[in-house]
Amino acid sequence: MEELKEILKKQIIEALSLEDMSPADIDDAAPLFGDGLGLDSIDALELIVLMEKQYGIRLSNPADGKEILLR
Amino acid sequence: MIVVTGTGIVSAIGTNTSEVANALLEDVSGIAPVNFLQTQHRQMPVGEVKLSNEQLAQRLGIVSTGNTSRTMLLGTLALREALAMAGIKGDELEGVALVSGTTVADMDCAEQRFDPRNDHVALGDCGRSTEDMAQHVGRFGFVTTCSTACSSAANAFILGANLLRSGRFKQVVVGGTECLSRFHFNGFRSLMILDGEPCRPFDATRAGLNLGEGAAFVVLETAEHAAQRGAKAMAQLSGWGNACDAFHQTASSDDGIGAVLSMRQALQRAGLKPADIQYVNAHGTGTPNNDASESEALHRVFGETMPPVSSTKSRTGHTTSASGSIEAVICLLAMRHGFIPSNLNWHHAMDKGIVPVAKTLRQQQLQHVLCNSFGFGGNDTSLVFSALSASSKPWSQQPLRPVYVKTMVTFGDIPEAELPRIPPLVARRLSGVLKRALLTSLVALQRSGIQQPQAIITGTAMGCVVETEKFLTELATDGEGSLKPTNFIHSTHNTISSLIAIHTHCHSYNSTYAHGQRSLESALTDAWLQIALGDLNSALVGLHDEADQKAVSFVLTNEPEGAVCTLHSLDDLQKLCCACLH
Repeated sequence: MEELKEILKKQIIEALSLEDMSPADIDDAAPLFGDGLGLDSIDALELIVLMEKQYGIRLSNPADGKEILLR
Repeated sequence: MIVVTGTGIVSAIGTNTSEVANALLEDVSGIAPVNFLQTQHRQMPVGEVKLSNEQLAQRLGIVSTGNTSRTMLLGTLALREALAMAGIKGDELEGVALVSGTTVADMDCAEQRFDPRNDHVALGDCGRSTEDMAQHVGRFGFVTTCSTACSSAANAFILGANLLRSGRFKQVVVGGTECLSRFHFNGFRSLMILDGEPCRPFDATRAGLNLGEGAAFVVLETAEHAAQRGAKAMAQLSGWGNACDAFHQTASSDDGIGAVLSMRQALQRAGLKPADIQYVNAHGTGTPNNDASESEALHRVFGETMPPVSSTKSRTGHTTSASGSIEAVICLLAMRHGFIPSNLNWHHAMDKGIVPVAKTLRQQQLQHVLCNSFGFGGNDTSLVFSALSASSKPWSQQPLRPVYVKTMVTFGDIPEAELPRIPPLVARRLSGVLKRALLTSLVALQRSGIQQPQAIITGTAMGCVVETEKFLTELATDGEGSLKPTNFIHSTHNTISSLIAIHTHCHSYNSTYAHGQRSLESALTDAWLQIALGDLNSALVGLHDEADQKAVSFVLTNEPEGAVCTLHSLDDLQKLCCACLH
C-alpha cells in the first residue's frame, strides 16, 4: 500500500508538473484541491487522464471527478 | 455612424445569407453526427457545413489540393458574398481593410502532415491562413488576424470600427472563419465539455457544447461613405465592448464580471440603457459553467428589464473563432426580417438561470440587439447593432492624439535582480514563451509605474508552439483517447494575454493578433488607435514567440512625460516594428 501511494504521488507530480515537490511533500490526508495543494479544475482533468491511462479508470462526467477526488 | 452594407455567412444551417435566414425562420438545426471530420468519434453531434472541401472549392473556382484548408475555403465563400452584397469590386480593395478572426486556421491540413519524428514540423499558422483567403479575393489595403479563441471574430469588429473612426480606412471587412479539426475537437474532448447529445443551452440538463464550423464577414463603412457611393445600409454597429474576466484560462467566473463589463461598455458606447435592448444573442455554449456565469452576468446587467435571450448555438453548434461574426449576422437577419430566433432544445429552467426564448417570435420590430461572444482566458466581447432609424450620435472625424512609448523592455536585457518572482503553482505551467512574456510584461509595467494597464494586447506569430506540438504528438502516437488538456489550453494564442491579465487581476481590454511577421504591427495598431482616439490612456503591448526567444514589451500612453519616442501616425508604428524586429 505504501509503495502504491509513493508511485501514485510520483505520477501526480509528473502529470501536474509539480517539479519542485517530492512525494513526501504530499500529505496523505490533505485534500488535493482548495486549501491542500491548491490545485484547480485543469488539474482535476489531468488527474482523470492519469487515472485512465495508468489504471484504466474511466470517468465520463468531470463534475463527478471533482467529487471523487475531493474525498 | 458606422453602418453595415454587406454580409456573408456559411454555417451548418446554410451556405449564404438568404439560406441562413430561411433556416432560422424555419427552426432548422444543423447539428448532426460527424460526416466530414476525420475522427473515430463519428457518433458525436457537430455543426458541420454540409459541403465537402471539393464542393466548396468547386463553388469558388479554386483547385483543391491536400494543402487547401477548409478554414480558408469557408472564409473565402463568406468574404466574397459580403463584398458582392456591399457592391465592392476587386479593384477597389486597396482602400479596404480586412480583419479576420481564427485560431484553428489551417490546422486541418497541418494535423494531416504532422510527423512527430520530423524536426521541422508543420503547425497551423493563423496569419498564413488569412493571407491565403485574402489572396483568393483580391489585394486589400490592410490584412490582419485577430486570435482570441471564441471571441476572435467579435474582436475583429472592434479593430475594424476603430480603423474607420480614425479615418485610416473608409471601408473594412470584419469577421472570422474556422473549420472543424481533429486537433481542437479532441482538445474540447480533453476538457470534457462536449455533449454527446444535441446541446441544450441554458437548460437544467445541459451537459456541454457541440462544436460547429463556418465563417461570416460583415462590411462596415461610415454612413457618409455608403451614401456617397449609393450603397444600401442595413443597420448600424452602434456599440462594442471587450473586457477580461481575468479568472481562469478556460473557466468563467461565478459572478461573470468580464461579461458584465463587456455588456455595460457596449451599452455605454451605444448611448443606451439596458431596457433599450430588445434581443440578446447569448454566447450560450451549453456548458454548465458558461451558461451559469452568463446568466449571472445577464441578471446583473439587465435586472428587471431582461430582454428576450437565446443561444443560436443550438442550431449552428459552437463555431468557436467564427461565432462572433456568425452570430452578428444572425442578429442582423433578426433585425431585417423582424424575428427572434428560439433557443432550440430548451425545456427545463436551470437554477438561477435566464429563461431563453423557447419558441421563435415573429413580427418583432427590433431597434437594438446585443450579441455576446466569450473566449478562453475570459476574453469577453459584446457588440450592439441598431436600426438605421434609431437615433445615434452624429458621425464626426475624431481628432487624433499623439501616442507616446513610455517603456520598451526586451527580455534578454532585464537584469536578473529585477525579474519578479512567480508563484510555483503558476510557474509550473509556463513554457518558455509564457514565462518570458509574463516576466517582460511585469517589468515593463513596473518601470512605467502602472499596475493595471487599460489594455493588454499581444502579437504572436505562433503562440505556444511547444504545447501545440506536444498535443499533436500525443494525438499522432496515442490516437484520440484521453489527451492532456493543459497542452490544448496553451495552444490557443491568447493564452499569453490572458495569463498577464489573470496575474495582474486586470479586467481591461484584452486582445491578441497572430499574423506572421506583422503580429507586432497589428497589436501596436490596435493600441495606437484606442489611445489616439481617446478611448484609453495606456496599453501594454508585447511581441512574444518561441522562435528566437522573442519577448519585447511596450507601454504606450497619452502622456509625453519621460517618453522614449512619439507615435504621431500609424506610419511611425512601422518604423518602431522595423527597429524592434531587426
